[in-house]
Amino acid sequence: MKNIASLFLMLFCCSTIYAQQVLQVSGNVSDEGGNPLPGASIVVKNTTNGTQTDFDGNYTLTKVPEDAVLVVSFIGYTTIEERVNGRNEINFVLKEDAQALDEVVVVGYGTQKKADLTGSIVVVKSEEIEKTPTANIMQSLQGKVSGLQVVSTGSPGDSPTVRVRGLGTYTGATNVLYVVDGMFYSNIDFLNTKDIKSINVLKDASSSAIYGVRGANGVIIIETKSGSINKKPQIEYDGYTGIQHAQNVLKMANAEQFTTMAIESGSQPDVQFVLNAMQRFGRSRINPNVPDANTDWYDEILRDGLMQSHSIGVTGGADNVSYSVGTNYFSQEGLLDMKNEYERFNIRSKVDVNITEGLKIGVNSVFSNATKYNAENAAWFKAYFAVPIMPVIDELNTEAAPIRYSNAQILGYRGTQNPFTDMVYNDNRLKIRKLLTSIYFQADIIKDRLTFKTTYSHDFSALEERYVNLPYTLGNNVERISSITRAQNNYSNQIWDNILTYNNSFGDHDLTVMAGTSFRDEAASSFSATGQNITGIQLESSWYLDFAEDESFSGNVGDNAKRYYGISYFGRVAYNYKDKYLLYGTLRADGSSKFTKDPWGYFPSVGLGWVLSEEDFMKDNGIFNYLKLRASWGQLGNDNVGASAGSNTINVITTAIGDVPTTGVTSTNTFTDNTWELIEEKNFGLNANFFNNKLSVEADYYIRDTKDAILPVFIPIVNLYVPKNSGTIRNQGLEANLNWNNSISEDFHYNVGFNFTTLKNEAIKLPDPGYIDSGTAEFRQRTRLGDPLFAFYGYERIGVYQNDAEIQADPIAVANNLVPGDLIYKDQNGDGQITDDDRVILGSFLPKFSYGGNIGITYKAFDFSMNFYGQTGNKILNRKRGEIIFTNDTNMDADLAINRWHGEGTSNTYPSSAGLRKGWNQKLSNFWIEDGDFFRLQNVQLSYTINDIKAFGKNVPTTKFTLTAERPLTVFSYNGFNPEVSDGVDRQTYPVPAIYTFGINIKI
Amino acid sequence: MKRQKNIVSLSVLSLVMLFLVSSCHDKLDIIEGQLNTGDVDYTNTDNMIEPLVGAYYEFATRGWEESLLLSVRGDDVNAGGLGDQQPFADTDNFTYDKGYWMYNSLWSLHYRDIVNMNNAMGQIQLYKDFAPESKYALADQYMAETKVLRGWFHYNLARVWGDIFIINTATPDQEIENGVSTRAEVMQYISDLMDEAIPYLPDMRPNERGDIQGGVTKYTAYALKAMANLELENYQAVADACAPIINSGKFSLYSDFYQLFKKPGELSDENLLEMQYSDYGSGTGDTFYHLYAPYGPQGWTPARANAEGGWGFYEPSMKYIKFMLDRNESVRLETSVIFTNRGISDLQTAGYTNLPSFVKNSTRDGDVFNDYARAKFASGKHYLPSIQLTDGRNNYGGGKNFIVMRYAEVLLMYAEALTQGSSGSGMTADQAVNLVRARAGMPSISGVSHDDVMDEKYAEMAMEWGIRYYDMIRLNNYTELSYDGRTFSADKELLPYPQAQVDALPLGN
Repeated sequence: MKNIASLFLMLFCCSTIYAQQVLQVSGNVSDEGGNPLPGASIVVKNTTNGTQTDFDGNYTLTKVPEDAVLVVSFIGYTTIEERVNGRNEINFVLKEDAQALDEVVVVGYGTQKKADLTGSIVVVKSEEIEKTPTANIMQSLQGKVSGLQVVSTGSPGDSPTVRVRGLGTYTGATNVLYVVDGMFYSNIDFLNTKDIKSINVLKDASSSAIYGVRGANGVIIIETKSGSINKKPQIEYDGYTGIQHAQNVLKMANAEQFTTMAIESGSQPDVQFVLNAMQRFGRSRINPNVPDANTDWYDEILRDGLMQSHSIGVTGGADNVSYSVGTNYFSQEGLLDMKNEYERFNIRSKVDVNITEGLKIGVNSVFSNATKYNAENAAWFKAYFAVPIMPVIDELNTEAAPIRYSNAQILGYRGTQNPFTDMVYNDNRLKIRKLLTSIYFQADIIKDRLTFKTTYSHDFSALEERYVNLPYTLGNNVERISSITRAQNNYSNQIWDNILTYNNSFGDHDLTVMAGTSFRDEAASSFSATGQNITGIQLESSWYLDFAEDESFSGNVGDNAKRYYGISYFGRVAYNYKDKYLLYGTLRADGSSKFTKDPWGYFPSVGLGWVLSEEDFMKDNGIFNYLKLRASWGQLGNDNVGASAGSNTINVITTAIGDVPTTGVTSTNTFTDNTWELIEEKNFGLNANFFNNKLSVEADYYIRDTKDAILPVFIPIVNLYVPKNSGTIRNQGLEANLNWNNSISEDFHYNVGFNFTTLKNEAIKLPDPGYIDSGTAEFRQRTRLGDPLFAFYGYERIGVYQNDAEIQADPIAVANNLVPGDLIYKDQNGDGQITDDDRVILGSFLPKFSYGGNIGITYKAFDFSMNFYGQTGNKILNRKRGEIIFTNDTNMDADLAINRWHGEGTSNTYPSSAGLRKGWNQKLSNFWIEDGDFFRLQNVQLSYTINDIKAFGKNVPTTKFTLTAERPLTVFSYNGFNPEVSDGVDRQTYPVPAIYTFGINIKI
Repeated sequence: MKRQKNIVSLSVLSLVMLFLVSSCHDKLDIIEGQLNTGDVDYTNTDNMIEPLVGAYYEFATRGWEESLLLSVRGDDVNAGGLGDQQPFADTDNFTYDKGYWMYNSLWSLHYRDIVNMNNAMGQIQLYKDFAPESKYALADQYMAETKVLRGWFHYNLARVWGDIFIINTATPDQEIENGVSTRAEVMQYISDLMDEAIPYLPDMRPNERGDIQGGVTKYTAYALKAMANLELENYQAVADACAPIINSGKFSLYSDFYQLFKKPGELSDENLLEMQYSDYGSGTGDTFYHLYAPYGPQGWTPARANAEGGWGFYEPSMKYIKFMLDRNESVRLETSVIFTNRGISDLQTAGYTNLPSFVKNSTRDGDVFNDYARAKFASGKHYLPSIQLTDGRNNYGGGKNFIVMRYAEVLLMYAEALTQGSSGSGMTADQAVNLVRARAGMPSISGVSHDDVMDEKYAEMAMEWGIRYYDMIRLNNYTELSYDGRTFSADKELLPYPQAQVDALPLGN
């Protein structure tokens, strides 16, 4: 301790002792093309004295001893040191490191130079992430990383669906594993975009094997910002505010079209309902055969929403300490016109301390406090189905209270249909408080050679749910009593890692060996209770269960917990010979308490790399500036599946015996007894730079198999599906990223990027009988050998019967009493009948091809960028339309109403209105399945930076103004709000809004 | 030297920490928040009743579509629900669709509960293994109860699909491999299973039971045995199975036919088996309900405000109503059928101008049934007057029990067996039929023929569990089933196996 204190003292003294002959040095830092390098660091060697270049690459450094050495560095460039020798002005030209050889990539329990990578890892920098106004970081990656599918969601505070290299698990969770500063997460909704330093997407198994416990869906490593030693504090404010607007709002049938459909349906009740509406609301003056109500329900329930974000932070460091602290406020209103919003406040701090030479300690914490008011999903659903011949408010509905909302039941319809009761009388609040905290201690056992690091991380989350149902009546005996459901879910996840790393270079050899252990403890507990008949329900201050009727708690209380443990041993060897030949290997042993059959899994991986451009025969070839071939193979496990029960389990039930609640038990008939899903992947890739490094190409081809995939095996008679290790799922594809960077003049730079991804997803081994059904009986999805998972399975519609002659000519039509306006199905097996055997695979929700691109232009102080994204080959089940099977007196989309068959030659795709109600046409066919292809302008951004301007004699801080249009344009043919449906079944989708924001960034 | 010492101590420290986790290996065996069957204390014989209560819970947990599909094809009832659930209406019209979800649901839920029954039996056996000898009889009784319930599920399946699997275990792989048994084999199996169970079951009425009121007794098993033998057209066995019930003197017809199907008739002396539901008289809190909404009217003005209506999916047929009017039935027609003005005007159009006073669009309990699109009539046996609902509860029929077997059916099965030439050891066929008629306010008849019994059964058991339909196909009486524009033929008797089951089981095609 005494030593440390004296060391501090000495260091403080040092800086004063040297302050003798000092100079002010200024100048410029640029690259070889003469382009200024903003943000480059200039430090007086072995001191805290340093600065960064401004946006024009200029710097000024004071108090520089005349014989000092300046260290100039910038990511992606070779660091240079130069002696001042009494000069006042020094310009530096940094050489671009061809492959950014010094760029370091986090690879899990350590780092690796990018040049040494043998697997497929994509690094996304903070600048790219920050362009997207969003509460959820992953949204900003959409279209930017090949092999990474992001399915956006419009619901404030919700997380997009993220998939790395297809779909590798059937029953398990499909969440990617996020590793945030070493801690495991399946949801990173609590992180603020501005706090992220980098995101590394580990795509191949060899790269992610070291995190192999739940890698079936890919691993994404996220690092939060940290300070650096000897860095002047920088205060940064970043904020934006904007508006969200629902895009591509689905056009529904209006009153006139709806009435026509009802009349043509041939269903007497439906005609009667329309007449009832005319009686109640009068006849339209425009068309007297239509009721005088024409409600566009989507128009009624939608609104524009505000969005804003404000971050402020300080980053810097002194001799022995580096820090990064900050705070962020984010708020977003939902598009549904009810209490539907998301608000989040974050506090973050990261401090690293060098205790003495070779001893380091650091703490990191992110606290996030969010409140989310969820939209009522039923409202979206009802807005689609509600008939247009009913107004929102029906003054004649005097029984409805407190507001006289209309009720479709009064017209004769089965449901009440009015979405406003869900919007106005429900209040769904979710308070999300998350704390990520970690502490590490690192010791150099042998300086620069052998390091030991122990890290303890704790992720604590408390989710407090409150669902309030306000009481109302709606006429026709619809009455709801008040009730409140409260739920408390706590999650406490802990990880303790111990890592030993050995590093050495001898001659042309470069070796890193790492060994480590990890202990995981994941606990979750939940408590929930519902109370009814709340006294004082009109006041939010009495929305507590204390005010509920006591009897109402019976049978309405739930309490349970889960706790899983994991133990891992792992090691890694990375070897590099002459920067030409690269070898990488990992081995991990994992035990998980989720598996009863065998908790242990062993997962090896190996990677090889060959940097051809370093070979003599490739030197000065005039084409390649850099060329590396890579190959890797690896296995990893996945425990992100349901825990196995190991034997039958007991449920406690209550039933009525003689009007007395009587408790008994039932036991399950089946149980799970599983072990690890094993992911095995081969990856072949190359990195190449051409034309003076202006063009860079990165391409990968992979085959990724999930062996022992846990699949639901149908247990006949019991009629349950039991998940068992019983199949193999394969994903394979080609991924490529191309980037072109160039400068036309000193003021004008541009870059163009393009990436694409192909995906073939299929089941290559399945348990008997060779397929697994999912979806519902009416909307069948089938996983078949050689076809994608969860593919839609049904009949192939080849047209519509146009006239009686066609009916008479087709024995199938005659046998099934079909009439013109009914669909024609293809008799696949040609047996002259349409039976279940004629069903075929109708497509999958996974896109076969997706692509993204970006254009960036910098001219003087202006920056312009544009991103686009698109996908093809995926199918969507228009389940909203399909609801007609169950309740066929509801509204439908305008496309269907207008383009229905209503006489010879009117349609060869849609059935008649009467046909829509017939079982024959309701069979799942490609009539219900639509293309999900789309192209979208993902992000357009224009910014202007003020720099080096004086006002009132003082320096105006560097300020950047930004205009952003997020997803301003989406082009698609699908008859729905949004072609992005994560599982392809579009029942009720939150519209994805276009967002327009104005932002300011100030750096002092 | 000091530096080297540091290296050694740091190395030791790091190695210790590195392998400290190995001490946590036993954590991998812990499963939190779950109770495995192996962890139950089977030595505590007092808890032996719990799996049995669980079995009754599973028995009463029925999908709404199950009883609807079991009965819709009869000439007593129609699908209603015009313009909704088309394949259900198609089924009513004898056009079958093996892909229709209701078929698969009936099959799946019934078979799942058969396995649940067997599983409960296994649990009771485990208790018996550790129980004192004094409790053996009780354990045997409990297991016998699950057998009766298991038999009832097989009975329904065989009636609907004919050849089905007989499942006696909780892990039926071998039984599946053995393939289906014929309909006759299944019925014989049920009959034998009842013989197996009867000696262990309590000799009392279900409502006399103190441990599980309304639970299975010896007489429930006899009734099911009679039902199975009726399907086999083994009429002597029917008569022999009904006789002990009749001769026990324990059973009587509930005097008020209307209230038999309402709350007052719950657990009456007539009931041999019923599914029990309740909200325990509380307006809030837990309920154990059956979903009766499919039977309810779409539009009504209930006597008790805010009582909910239903879906209009179960409509007594015009044929049945005319049949009852022609017989001058009042008690049973008023109880079985609920009228709307549209339905009444159809009757008037059909020539029934002089309708009895109870034929109106309201019930004696003051619930008014308004015209609604989906149906013209509703089932009265599945209707609970809104004034009988617990205050604060609004579900249609909320808390009403569902009678599965009752004494009147036993009397009529007995009478049919005698008119088919069997000899009876109980009362005469005349006596049995007249008991039923007397309760319904109908005059006595003598020298009852087989047709008389079947008419009586039509009048008495309409809308209940498809009894009428399965009687007609047993008797090959396709004329009765070819009504109101329908044409029935032998090939329509059974439903096709559900597609999902064909895919998974050795069911031929």
